Amino acid sequence: MTSETLPLTDYAVSARGLTKSYGHDSTRVQALRSVDVAFARSRFTAIMGPSGSGKSTLMHCLAGLDTADAGQIMIGGKDLMSMNDDELTMMRREQIGFVFQSFNLVPTINAKDNILLPLSLAGKRHDRDWFNTVIEALGLRDRLNHKPHELSGGQQQRVAVARALLTRPEVVFGDEPTGNLDSRTGAEVLSLMRTSTREMGQTIIMVTHDPAAASYADTVLLMKDGQLVGSIEEPTVASVTEALASLAE
Amino acid sequence: MLHVALANIKTYARRYIAVILAVAIGTAFLAATLAVNTSTRATLKNSLGDSYKNADLVAFPDWSMASSEGEESKDLSMSNLDDVRKLNGVSTAYAIAYSAGEVHTADNGYTVLTSPVSAEQNLGGMELVEGRAPLRANEVLIDDSHAKDMNVSVGDTISLNSQDTAAKNYTVVGLQRSSTDPQISGYALLGMQEGAWTKFAGKDFVPSSIVVNASGNIDAVQNELKTYFTDQKLKNISVLTADEKVIKDVAALTDGSDQLTMVLLVFALIALVVTGLVVVNTFNVVIAQRTRELALLRTLGAKRKQIRSSVLIEALLIGILASVAGVALAVGLMAGLIKLLHIYVPSMSYATLALSPIGLVIPVIVGILMTVIAASLPARRAMKLAPLAALRPFDSASVKNRAGKLRIIFGLLLTLGGAALLGYGAYKGELPIAFVGGLFSFPGILMLASLFVPSSVYGIGKLVAGRSVAGKLAALNAVRNPGRTTATATALLIGVTLVSMIMVGGQTAKATLNNSIAGEYPVDVTVSLFDQKADPAKTEKLAKEISNIQGVEQSTTFRSATAVIDDPGSSEDAGLQLMAVDPQGFEKVALDPSIVPADGEVVMVSGYLKPGTKTMTLGGETLKVKESKASLYTDIVTFDTLKTLKTVDANSGFMGVLVKVDPKLDSAAIGKLVDQIVETAGVERYMVDGGVVQNAMFSQIIDVLLTIVSALLAVAVLIALIGVANTLSLSVLERTRENSLLRALGLKKKQLRAMLAQEAVLIGGVAALLGLVLGVAYGLLGAQATLSGMGDMSYDIPWLQLAIVLVVSIVAALIASITPGRRASKLSPVEGLAAE
Ligand SMILES: Nc1ncnc2c1ncn2[C@@H]1O[C@H](COP(=O)(O)OP(=O)(O)OP(=O)(O)O)[C@@H](O)[C@H]1O
Ligand SMILES: [Mg+2]
Repeated sequence: MTSETLPLTDYAVSARGLTKSYGHDSTRVQALRSVDVAFARSRFTAIMGPSGSGKSTLMHCLAGLDTADAGQIMIGGKDLMSMNDDELTMMRREQIGFVFQSFNLVPTINAKDNILLPLSLAGKRHDRDWFNTVIEALGLRDRLNHKPHELSGGQQQRVAVARALLTRPEVVFGDEPTGNLDSRTGAEVLSLMRTSTREMGQTIIMVTHDPAAASYADTVLLMKDGQLVGSIEEPTVASVTEALASLAE
Repeated sequence: MLHVALANIKTYARRYIAVILAVAIGTAFLAATLAVNTSTRATLKNSLGDSYKNADLVAFPDWSMASSEGEESKDLSMSNLDDVRKLNGVSTAYAIAYSAGEVHTADNGYTVLTSPVSAEQNLGGMELVEGRAPLRANEVLIDDSHAKDMNVSVGDTISLNSQDTAAKNYTVVGLQRSSTDPQISGYALLGMQEGAWTKFAGKDFVPSSIVVNASGNIDAVQNELKTYFTDQKLKNISVLTADEKVIKDVAALTDGSDQLTMVLLVFALIALVVTGLVVVNTFNVVIAQRTRELALLRTLGAKRKQIRSSVLIEALLIGILASVAGVALAVGLMAGLIKLLHIYVPSMSYATLALSPIGLVIPVIVGILMTVIAASLPARRAMKLAPLAALRPFDSASVKNRAGKLRIIFGLLLTLGGAALLGYGAYKGELPIAFVGGLFSFPGILMLASLFVPSSVYGIGKLVAGRSVAGKLAALNAVRNPGRTTATATALLIGVTLVSMIMVGGQTAKATLNNSIAGEYPVDVTVSLFDQKADPAKTEKLAKEISNIQGVEQSTTFRSATAVIDDPGSSEDAGLQLMAVDPQGFEKVALDPSIVPADGEVVMVSGYLKPGTKTMTLGGETLKVKESKASLYTDIVTFDTLKTLKTVDANSGFMGVLVKVDPKLDSAAIGKLVDQIVETAGVERYMVDGGVVQNAMFSQIIDVLLTIVSALLAVAVLIALIGVANTLSLSVLERTRENSLLRALGLKKKQLRAMLAQEAVLIGGVAALLGLVLGVAYGLLGAQATLSGMGDMSYDIPWLQLAIVLVVSIVAALIASITPGRRASKLSPVEGLAAE
């Protein structure tokens, strides 16, 4: 799974020499130290690592939410680093889906409008069949007219997943998407995400602290001190827990 | 708790900027109003007191002293002055008396006021600036500022006459300081030697007062004077000390300025109500945002009262800061204005800035109280929350603030009752009833605002948004917190309603007056040369000249004469004033064709005729009567008819010119036109009259009033717009995460700014729209109530001005959204998402 095996453009998302630091002088924090990483299409990847290791920063940079200091990021064959704010916004709108830990939905509009939001922003019509497929898969059929505050936490996350999948983006990013859910609802959401990679061919990249969540992924990448320090293929709860423990040493 | 409050203000400083600004402007308005009042008084005292500056006692005819029945009281005269000077304890005495005269210098003529001056008697209260006092009968003083205007200096000779005395030459021997008394300072003041003046003015001339300087005990002299006047049967003479007299004069003159103060106070009150709404809104938001923090304090053991008092201390500090700043602003403004007045209007050099301690303290107290009371409402609401409820993660999607049932019922009653009174008052033409109706119904409607403002904002927002997501979100966001939206919009609605009411009322008043005045005049403009002997050739020439003026369509001449009538009913020979015209010329200028006479006809107003009157004997001739529905001041005949009539004033009478004016001219153009006619004809302004002239004058008066009132109300609108900006920036702060989420999901910076702009425009525009609707209704009903007694109403709505109000509100709302929009779009999505 490293960048040497395939040319960058053949991956859904890839980055080279990604560097990012916060603050100045004495308060300077090196959040990313020249990270090289590539994510193949139709795979579910989890990023793990101790708190402060740079997981969120990496994800934000890859998703065009934040700008890296140096390096190269490619999504679907396009170079993110050379884009201005509007182009990045268009990129996020059309090629990237998001599922955040909390506060995923715009509270004033109902579930359906939330799901359709990126498409409406782009002024595009949605593919009715695809919409129905996603809604059925996520079991949201009878929740579409509810406002976010009328939905449970799990339902809210599922709406967010539906929104992320609906545009058929190049990649879906999730920053601890199950962090606020109990283990059962968390499991529901995770298996949905896995199904979408298996059955719909969706590329998913997820940051998590939870070995159980990571075990749903095809690959786990390990981070420490702003660097990638290893990966686990076909992870299990046990293998992930072990790897994390060895990282902490 | 003080340090907590201080820390909070520091932390949330940005949120309080708008509150401080609004409260400061509101209190500044109030303070300025009070300062206007005290300053007017001081200024008047300063100027009115000028005449008695060094005097002890003033004796003057006091008409408020009831004269005892039967006995006729004698008038004050100059002969009393001679007696007064002989009284015990009187060291000097002089009369204050102004008699009008006409001065001709080498190049011009002026109307002047003459007054007696005696070199031995304090110079009659004058102050010499140059030269000496007039000692001989042919010497005069002139006041220095008018001397400059008249181009007269010491040593010059001028000619002076009055209506009753022939012109005589006088030598200017000195200049005196100009009077600052506003009642007389408009005219040049001529000081004449006392004896010469008495001859000039006539010995029966009634001086306005006799001013006395006492050499002994003032009380004794006062009694002496009183006894003297009683002995002389001068019943109405009051003797007051100079100070008392000034106070009395000021009181008499400031009746008007007190009314001005009352009017200004009403506007200040409006501004303060609007300010209150802004304050309530801000504290609502600030406290809502801190609900969790406050709840945490509660769970940690803080008592409800402690927390509430901490919020109130915050409000108190802000109130003090803002009110003091506002009062300082007002004082600075007034001082600046008076300074400007001193620089640009030298004759107002006596204008004084006067501040009373009360006038300074009241606005501060009002400002503080208003802030604290406005803050206490949201504070109380927040405190009601149980500590745990507040700690639970809460979704701020939409806050339901249910309008209290009581408020709705009360508002409904006020609205319905007020509307009924307003309708009745308008129908019956009873202004007081309509006024009370307005006074009740408007607050009633404001109480009900929560029922219709948010739904209007949302409905119009959705309509405007069409398929744009940002637009839809803007509409949703605009009514997310209906209470806040209502308060923000209401603040603006108040100002816009009042402004548009005044505009519509004023316009309708103008149109109605136009109509009723036009009906009263037979022609547009009448130039009456009543100071000249009738001279047909000269008048004809003048008519030609006038018709050449731009804007004049036609002109013709007329002659005024009084025909002899022998009415069998009345014993004495009576005369009837007639206007004689050339029928061909008159037809072209007459506003109503029914008033053009034929030879042998007299046009008379039907209302004054016995029904069925067919003929009338006038000046020895029997004339056919032509009835006219138009109201005329005089009856009209032709020149040829007049020649056959016997007139009272065979040789006198006067002529003049009748003018028809281009109907498209507006009041300003007509004002100019009248100026030109005055100049061309070489007449005084009052000799030019007519419907158009009256209209122009009324229109101008109404326009000036409208401008002033609109400017005063603009303060309320300004504060309301600060409120819009405030609400929006608070919303932006509240919705940081949501806006970041939208940015993450693909909302461009520009779209985000546009979304906020739409939100502001929605609130501002809908508030303005509702205000316009209300204002038009109130304006029409108010005008109807005020003017329907004057005849037919002509309703006129100034669409353009109203459109301007709407556009200004929308543009201002747009401007108000700039800063919050910029702040929102500057935040990167990540930063926003991280924010808690
Ligand atoms: N806005 C910021 N300003 C300054 N430093 C930051 C900022 N964001 C992150 N950092 C720092 O960068 C480093 C990486 O942070 P990051 O949020 O990427 O960690 P993480 O792996 O997501 O941690 P966690 O598991 O706790 O979420 C940390 O040391 C953090 O303190
Ligand atoms: Mg993180």
